[in-house]
Amino acid sequence: MIFSLANPLRFQRLIEKIEPITLNIAIILLLIGLFFCFFGSPPDYLQGETVRIMYIHVPCAWFSLMIYSIIALCSIFSIVFKHTLADLISRSCAPIGACFTLATLLSGSIWGKPTWGTWWVWDARLTSELVLLVIYLGLIIINNAYEDKSKADRYSSILAIIGIINLPIIKWSVDWWSTLHQPASISKFSSPSIDSSMLLPLFIMTFSFLFFFISILLVRVRGEIIQRKIEVIRFNRMVS
Amino acid sequence: MNLDFFKLVKREIKIMLKNFSIIYSFSTFFVVASLIFVFSVNDISYVKVFYKSIVWIVLIFSIMLVSENFLNEDFNDGSLKELQFLGFSEESIMVSKSIAMWIMIMIPMLFLMPLVFIFFQITLYELKGLVINLFLATPSLTLISILSSLFSVQLKRNKIIQFVIILPFFIPMIIFTTSTGTLFESHNLKENQFLILIGIFFITLPVCLIAGRLIMREINK
Repeated sequence: MIFSLANPLRFQRLIEKIEPITLNIAIILLLIGLFFCFFGSPPDYLQGETVRIMYIHVPCAWFSLMIYSIIALCSIFSIVFKHTLADLISRSCAPIGACFTLATLLSGSIWGKPTWGTWWVWDARLTSELVLLVIYLGLIIINNAYEDKSKADRYSSILAIIGIINLPIIKWSVDWWSTLHQPASISKFSSPSIDSSMLLPLFIMTFSFLFFFISILLVRVRGEIIQRKIEVIRFNRMVS
Repeated sequence: MNLDFFKLVKREIKIMLKNFSIIYSFSTFFVVASLIFVFSVNDISYVKVFYKSIVWIVLIFSIMLVSENFLNEDFNDGSLKELQFLGFSEESIMVSKSIAMWIMIMIPMLFLMPLVFIFFQITLYELKGLVINLFLATPSLTLISILSSLFSVQLKRNKIIQFVIILPFFIPMIIFTTSTGTLFESHNLKENQFLILIGIFFITLPVCLIAGRLIMREINK
């Protein structure tokens, strides 16, 4: 299945079919999610209305890590199998991941002021998330620094693989060090320490962000495919 | 480890000794940059508080400046490719360069320590902590900076890109070196806590070698 999609033209045709569907689902889920966030969930007994920032902050944080994992996976795939599509996906993911990370840091900062009394603290979770943003920026810079795109892809893949070290640090920083940031409320191995009335809008928002990410990614991958086609046409004209 | 590897290290050290200007510029940059910090504050007691951070920041920048000379020249005159044709593995090239660079950094650093002692008005005990820190953390630092210069060897705007790409990887090192230094000064450091710096080195070493191998192969394509 994956290898049959390795042909960018075939993948482009698939994108054209999927992209409008995912965008529509994202918009519908976002509207439902926002309704639940503002009207369908109660304020927190301690934090009051400010807890609603969670519905943006937490999905953004999850996606900042998930997108980096996708980049890292694509990078390994690209180095091992020399898969063009993996390069295209990883290149397209970097700016989206950077935006999600920035949104995490900004929303966290806005949430931090009323809850912790400060916009920013240099604790392990916040610092490692900031490092993730800098790594994303590094990837974007590498992707645009080389004239030869295949070389840029290869170098950014290597950098992305090195950056994997940061992912477990972000994930378990709240357990390894004593931080101001709270530990994870939703865990795979235990029942969530969050009420179901808050959990539902959180999941709806997460799925909305997921479909939004997929649709933006597909648009960017299509753009990359078209750009590479243009480059090939230009090169052929120059040769002839 | 065979004899060829030691020949390679010997070659790198010989080149380093021939290019003495690199050591000279590294030392001068270190002294001048440290002096700028001293002159930028009126009260020396402030500098004394932040001396570890100042030394580390200046050291990182000076290593980054020097590391370019190590690889760019080898890349431009073709000796990097030649070494690979001779059968030296990418890992051994990288390790030999790192060893040579580490020697090149540590020797001038030891000579510059009395200046640090005077500039920042620190005690002998604090100086001892700083030297141990430098000794244990600079191997990782050199490996990372060699890797960063490999990333940027084929770029025109390489200096800026080199800094942006690699600076995030220095952050954990800075955090752990300065914190172990602070614990040492307050006499709260158990001896084995310095081991964290060796631990960082053993994480950095394989990561840098694998990444270095991949980049070197890409460079020579």
